[in-house]
Amino acid sequence: MSFEPKKQPYSGKINAVTLGTGDKAIVIGGQNVLPFYTFDAPIENAPKIGIEISDLAGEWTAPALKEFYAGCTTMADYAKKAETMEGADFLCLHFESADPNGANRSVADCVADAKAVAEAVSMPIVIMGCKNIEKDGELFSKIAEALQGKNILVLSARSEDYKTVGASVALAYGQKVGAETADDINLAKQLNIMLKGLTVSPASIVMNVGTAAVGYGYEYVASTLDRVRLAALAQSDADLQMPIIAPVSPDTWGVKESTASEEDEPTWGSQEERAIGMEVATAAADLTGGADAVIMRHPAAVATIKKFINELM
Amino acid sequence: MALKGLDIFKLSPKKNCKECGSPTCMAFCMKVAQGAITIDKCPYFSDDAKAMLNEQTAPPMKTITFGKDHKLGGETVLFRHEKTLVNKNLYAVPVCTCMDDATVDAKLAEMAKVDYERIGERMYVETIFVRNAGNDAAAYTKLVEKAAATGRDLILECWDVDCAKAALAVCKDSKPILDGATPDNWEAMNEVAKEAGVVLGVWAENISDLYDTVKKLEAAGNKNLVLDVTGKTAKETLANAVLVRRTALKDGDRSFGYPSIVNVAKLAKGDKHLQTALAAMFTEKYASVIVMESMDYAQALPLYGLRQNIFTDPQKPMKVESKIYPLNGADENSPCALTVDFALTYFLVSGELERSNQPVNLIITDASGMSVLTAWAAGKFSSTSVKKTFADLDIENKIKNRTLIIPGKVAVMKGEIAEKLPGWNVVVGPTEAVQLPKYMKDKEYEAAAKAAAAEAAAKAAATPAEEVKELSFEELLATKVPAIEVVDMGVQYKGHNPEAQTFVTIGERIHCISPVIRKAMDERDPAPILKRAAEQIAAGATYLDVNIGPAEKDGPERMMWAVKLLQENFNNVPLALDTANKKAIEAGIKVYNRTNGKPIVNSADAGSRISYIDLAAANDAICIALCSADGIAKDNEERMKHCHNMLERGLSLGMEATDLWFDPLFLVVKGMQDKQMDVLNAIKLFADEGLKSTGGLSNNSNGAPKNVRPIMDSALVAMAMMQGLTSAIVNPCDLRLMETIKSCDIFKNHVLYSDSYLDL
Repeated sequence: MSFEPKKQPYSGKINAVTLGTGDKAIVIGGQNVLPFYTFDAPIENAPKIGIEISDLAGEWTAPALKEFYAGCTTMADYAKKAETMEGADFLCLHFESADPNGANRSVADCVADAKAVAEAVSMPIVIMGCKNIEKDGELFSKIAEALQGKNILVLSARSEDYKTVGASVALAYGQKVGAETADDINLAKQLNIMLKGLTVSPASIVMNVGTAAVGYGYEYVASTLDRVRLAALAQSDADLQMPIIAPVSPDTWGVKESTASEEDEPTWGSQEERAIGMEVATAAADLTGGADAVIMRHPAAVATIKKFINELM
Repeated sequence: MALKGLDIFKLSPKKNCKECGSPTCMAFCMKVAQGAITIDKCPYFSDDAKAMLNEQTAPPMKTITFGKDHKLGGETVLFRHEKTLVNKNLYAVPVCTCMDDATVDAKLAEMAKVDYERIGERMYVETIFVRNAGNDAAAYTKLVEKAAATGRDLILECWDVDCAKAALAVCKDSKPILDGATPDNWEAMNEVAKEAGVVLGVWAENISDLYDTVKKLEAAGNKNLVLDVTGKTAKETLANAVLVRRTALKDGDRSFGYPSIVNVAKLAKGDKHLQTALAAMFTEKYASVIVMESMDYAQALPLYGLRQNIFTDPQKPMKVESKIYPLNGADENSPCALTVDFALTYFLVSGELERSNQPVNLIITDASGMSVLTAWAAGKFSSTSVKKTFADLDIENKIKNRTLIIPGKVAVMKGEIAEKLPGWNVVVGPTEAVQLPKYMKDKEYEAAAKAAAAEAAAKAAATPAEEVKELSFEELLATKVPAIEVVDMGVQYKGHNPEAQTFVTIGERIHCISPVIRKAMDERDPAPILKRAAEQIAAGATYLDVNIGPAEKDGPERMMWAVKLLQENFNNVPLALDTANKKAIEAGIKVYNRTNGKPIVNSADAGSRISYIDLAAANDAICIALCSADGIAKDNEERMKHCHNMLERGLSLGMEATDLWFDPLFLVVKGMQDKQMDVLNAIKLFADEGLKSTGGLSNNSNGAPKNVRPIMDSALVAMAMMQGLTSAIVNPCDLRLMETIKSCDIFKNHVLYSDSYLDL
C-alpha cells in the first residue's frame, strides 16, 4: 500500500486583517493551517515584511545599511527610500527617541514626523513606541488621530494601558491596534478578551505575543507561537485567532552577535554579516512558528526573507 | 503508543498461575502497561504475542546512532511544549568529488574555524557530508579519507554501489551513514550497508516512492535507516519533512519513524542568507541533519543559538556555568556583581552590565538554574552556596577589589553573606536589571561599599572574635529557646487519629515567605504565629506546616521554639517541619509530641534532597517525597521512577511505605495547563500501588484572580481525591476548599453522613 499523505486543515481560522488603504493595502492572516503548510490547505495571504525606520536611524552604523539610506535625513526621507526596498510590504515607524529616559523627543515632533511620512508614502504604516507606558499612551493617541483614514496599526496596547490605547487608537480613530504580551499565552488571550470588552472589534486586533533574538530565550517565543497557533486552529479559540506580528530587528540588532565589533571578536568575521544572520534566522524562525508579519531592518535580510516566503508559498 | 492493560490481557495466557508474582494475569498485564514490570517475567506468553507487543510498544520514531555516539531522532512529540524534544539536529557541510583538492581543503579548513562554547555546549560542525559525483571509486575513497582525517563524523552521499563499498572499506569503523539507497539500487545498497554495519540513508524523487522503498528495506530486515527528505524545492522539502514526522508520531505509522536529512545547500543554490533562513526553519521543523553549503560565524551564531533554545527541555531551565565573567575589560581591581546561573537572568544582567560600559566581574553562582527569588526561597541561593562558589572559583585570590554587589531582591542576605565572606564589602544592588546601567555609571555602589567597610570595622572593634562552640540540642534548648507562654486563643485543636482515612489538610499559612511571619520568627514574637495557627485550626486544619525559612544560622533553636510554641498552645497539634536546614528539622523532632500523629519532614526529593528520607527514617517521621530531581519530571514515567527510587530508599531504611507521602508536584495552570492531567494521573498511579500522596495543591491557581482561586482549588481537590489523593498542603482558611474536601470525604465513605457534616 503506497503512502497517502493525510491532510490536516483545521476548523479554526486566523482572522484576515487589512492594513493600509488603496493599492498598497495588505491583508495578513486568513489561513486555517500552520505556517507554510500549503500541503494541508491553500494559504491565501503570504506573510508580510515591514521595514523598521527609527527616529534614531542616523545612529545606524552597518555599512550597507547606511549606504542604502545615504542622503536621508528626515523620517520621511527614510520612509520613501524604504518603500523602494526589495521585499518591503509595509513601513514601521519606531519612535525610540520619545523615551523620557532618553532623548525625550516631544509628542508634537513625533506626530509631525508621522504625518510627513504618511504624506510621502503609500505603503501601510505601523507605529512603534518607546516602551514608556505614559509617553506611548499620548503618542499613540495623537498619531492615530493625525493619521485617521490611513488604517494604520499601532504597537501596542499592553495589559497596563490597553484601556487608553484601545479606546483612542481603535475606537476613537478607527485604526488597528496591537495587543502585546511577553511569552504568556494566558495573558495574550486575556488581553484580547479585555480589548473586545472595550468593544474593539476582533478584526481590528493584531497580536505581538513576545519576541526575542534566537539564542536569547527563544524557546519561550517558539513555544508561545506554537501554542497560540494550535489554540486558534485546533481548539478554534476565537480569542487567539488574531494574526501575529513579530518585531524582529529591534531585538536582533541589540544582541552581542550583532553589536560586537570585529576588533573585539576577531574570529567572528564581518559584523554586518553577523547582524544580517541574526535578523534572517530570527525572522525565519518567527515565520515558521506563526508570525504573519515581521518587522525587519537590513535590505539584505529583507530581500532574503522575501525570497524565503516566496519559495514556500 | 502506550498499550492499555486490557489489550495486553487479550494476548496473555490467562492461567492465573502467580509465577510472575502477580495474583492474576490481569494484574500482571496492568503492571506491564504501566511499565512497572516487563513482559519477560511471564514464562507463558507466546513468542508471537511478545513480538506483537514489542512492535506495538516500540517508540513511534527510532533513535539512530552513528559516528562517535551521535543520536538522531527518537522524538515523541511534534511540538516542544508537549513534552520535550530529545535529540538536537546536527549540521553538516559537504565536500564532493566534483571539487578540486584546493576547494576541498579550503572548505574543510573553513568549517573547522567554527568551534566555540555557548552555555556549556560545544558548537561546531559535527558531520561532513561526503558527496560522490561519479563512479571513480579511488577518487571517492581518497575524498572520504581526507574528510575522515578531520575527526568529524561522516555521511556518505553515494548512489554508486562499488564506490560505496570502496569508501566503507576505509571508514566503516567510524560508523558513518551511507546515504545511498534509492528506489533503483536499494537491494544492492542494503547489502553494502548491512555488510559494513552502518546506517543506511534513503532518498527518492517523491515522498510516495520514499515510503515504498522504506517498506521494502524494512521487509528485507533493515530498520537502521535515515530518510533524505530533500525535494526539488524548499516548499516540497518542508512538506516532506512535516509529513514524515507527522505520519510517524501522529498517525503511528512507523515506516516513517526515522530521522530526516535535509540538504539545504541544494535548496539555497548558493544564496548564503537564504540558506540561513531555511536552516532556521528546518531546525524547528523537523530535520535531524541539516546539510549546509558552508558554515561561518555569521551562520553559526544564529543557528546554534536557535538550536540550543529549541532543544532545551521545557521542564529544565537553561543554566550557565558558575564562574567569573569579566565584562567591559574588567580585571582584578574591578568590583564584583553576583547573580544566579539561570540563563535568562545571566543574559539580562550581563547585557545591562555591558550597556553600562563599566568594568565589572560578574560572578555566577550555582542555583540549579533557578531565578534569584525562586532559588533563594528553595535554599539554592544562600550565603552558604555563595561561600562555596567563592571557594570553588578561588575568587579571594583572583580578585583584589573587595566590593560585592548582590541582587536587590535578596537584600535580606546581605548580613549573612558579609559574615561568611569576611573582608568583602557587601552592597545591595538594584532589584531590576534595567536599573543596572545607571547604578553602575553613577557608581552608587562605592559609597555603599565604604559604609559596609566601616560597619564591618566597627563590628570587629566592638566584639572581639569569640570562639563559636557547637551546642547540643539540649544545650540549645536550655540556653537559646525562650520559655513558652501558653495563651488562650479561644481555639482548641480537636485531636487527630493517625489511623483515620479522612483527608489530611496541612495548613500552609505559617511560612517565612510572608514578611509578618519572617519578622516574628526572627524576633521570636509569638503573637503573629499563634494568630495564624489559631485561624487555621479553627478552620479545620489537620496538620500545620511550619516554614522557618532557609534558617542557616539559628535553625535548630528557631525550630525548637516554633514546635514548642505551637504544640504547647494547641493541644499538641501535629506539625510538618519545613526548612532547607536539616539540623533544624532534627532539633524540632527532638521536642515534638506525637500524641496526634508523627511529625512530617517537608520535604525530600529524588535529587539533592534525597537524604531527607534518611532524616525521616532515623527519627520515625513521615516524609513528603517530591517526585522530581533536577527540575519538574517530564512525564509520569519519570515521576514514577523518582517515586520508586525514594520508596526503595525509605523501605531499605526501615520506614513504612505509608510514611512516605508522595508529592506529584502540582503545576500552575497559567503556563502548564497541558500538564494538569499528568499530575492527576500520577496520583492515581500512587494510589494504585497503595501509596499516600500530598502536595501544594493551590499552586495550580497561582497568578489567577483572588475570587477565582478557591473555585479552581476546589475543583482540583475533588478531581485529585477521586484519583486517590490522601492529603494536601493548603490554606485551610479557604472555606470553599475545606467544604469541598469534607464533601468528598463523605462520597469516599470516609465519614458517615449527617446533615451537619460541614459543621463537624
